[in-house]
Amino acid sequence: MSRFEYHEPGSVADAVDLAARFGEEASFLAGGTDLIVQIERGRAAPRHVIGLVRVPGLDGIEANGHLTLGARVTHRAIERTPALAGTLRGLVEGAEVIGGHQVRNVATVGGNLVNASPAADLVPCLVALDADVTLVGPDGERELPVERFLLGPNRTARRPEELLTRVRMPALPARTATAFLKAGRRRAMEISVVCVAARLTLDTSLEHCLQARVALGAVAPTTVRVPAAERALEGQAVGGAAFRRAAEAAQAACRPIDDVRASAAFRQHLVGVLVRRALDRCVERARRAP
Amino acid sequence: MPKIPIALTINGEPHEVLVEPDRTLLDVLRSDLGLTGTKTNCLDAECGVCTVLVDGLAVNSCLYLAVVATGRAITTIEGLASAGGLHPLQAAFVEHGAVQCGYCIPGMILSAKAYLDEHPHPSELQIREALAGNLCRCTGYQKIVDAVLAAARRMAATAVAS
Repeated sequence: MSRFEYHEPGSVADAVDLAARFGEEASFLAGGTDLIVQIERGRAAPRHVIGLVRVPGLDGIEANGHLTLGARVTHRAIERTPALAGTLRGLVEGAEVIGGHQVRNVATVGGNLVNASPAADLVPCLVALDADVTLVGPDGERELPVERFLLGPNRTARRPEELLTRVRMPALPARTATAFLKAGRRRAMEISVVCVAARLTLDTSLEHCLQARVALGAVAPTTVRVPAAERALEGQAVGGAAFRRAAEAAQAACRPIDDVRASAAFRQHLVGVLVRRALDRCVERARRAP
Repeated sequence: MPKIPIALTINGEPHEVLVEPDRTLLDVLRSDLGLTGTKTNCLDAECGVCTVLVDGLAVNSCLYLAVVATGRAITTIEGLASAGGLHPLQAAFVEHGAVQCGYCIPGMILSAKAYLDEHPHPSELQIREALAGNLCRCTGYQKIVDAVLAAARRMAATAVAS
């Protein structure tokens, strides 16, 4: 006896109809690398699985100034899209550290968001890019900033009948760079102990910060953006004192826990180190950009 | 829910199977089709022994529903050797003594194949990264990496010659 019925809609509208019909008893399936583990381990028990594999229009990447990623875009696709290699390199860095090739070949942007792991690697990168998610339901669609979409570990603002169809990020100004850094106990196949995404826009002198974003993963119930760190950077000379204040603000904003991977105190220490390094990296990249 | 008929191309041959929709590709390959070269272990995408190629991409078949594989081309370890002999990766693993207990080797070779098909001239570091999702608890990896490097050189030389 199968534990669930399987449905394979051919359009977003049909997928949403099925989700509206089955409500809490349904789960959408994209790459499956989270959902199938959860089902096998008894942590999820959907009666209906709605496979998105044949829904057209969910795997596009549009990079015309602004960036749109379809929900079914894989980590592999992010790694291999040349248009993302410059200013958006921080996003590629977030995609390429997840699992092995076998996972990145199938695991999706939409799945990483909906799974809402506090340690998700791609999500801080999306928050640092001011990303909005699009949710399509029976009554139409709505857009929500990723920060407001994430409510807690494995909890989001998505209603059961809504399908996350895409993530959209606004165009970035000139002299902008992004970076993502992750600390784990080893270099590959590791759940983040701490991860940090940063974005800096420099002024024409390349000495001052015009705009900043700092987002942290694995140190709170959700990915967190740190406005206090951003305020410590904007309008200031890059480097030294401003970066130190931003790192301190990030340490103050995080609420890490002790667990099997690291102590809360070590996580807090790492946040300071990684924020400074990520900002340094952004400055190097923004100065080197054409 | 009744079983669902699915059509798979496995190692170039068409197969039709009736499956419950919650069964994984790994389970169907091993239990229904007798292709036990694909191994089962962690069921958590940590170890990579269940690696197969789906349309040329390495995936963990333990987390891949068989129904999702409908219409796709699957390559398992059984599909690598040809009438002409072992695949260059298989031959290099034998020559370099890269196989000890052998349990991780089918997945290791398929991950390496997917990577070399895309990157014919890898560095040692790139090979190590390409195999990050495949654990071996016997060898310490050195002989495995040596074997993949040797196979890459041989495959690239053959490609130039032909």
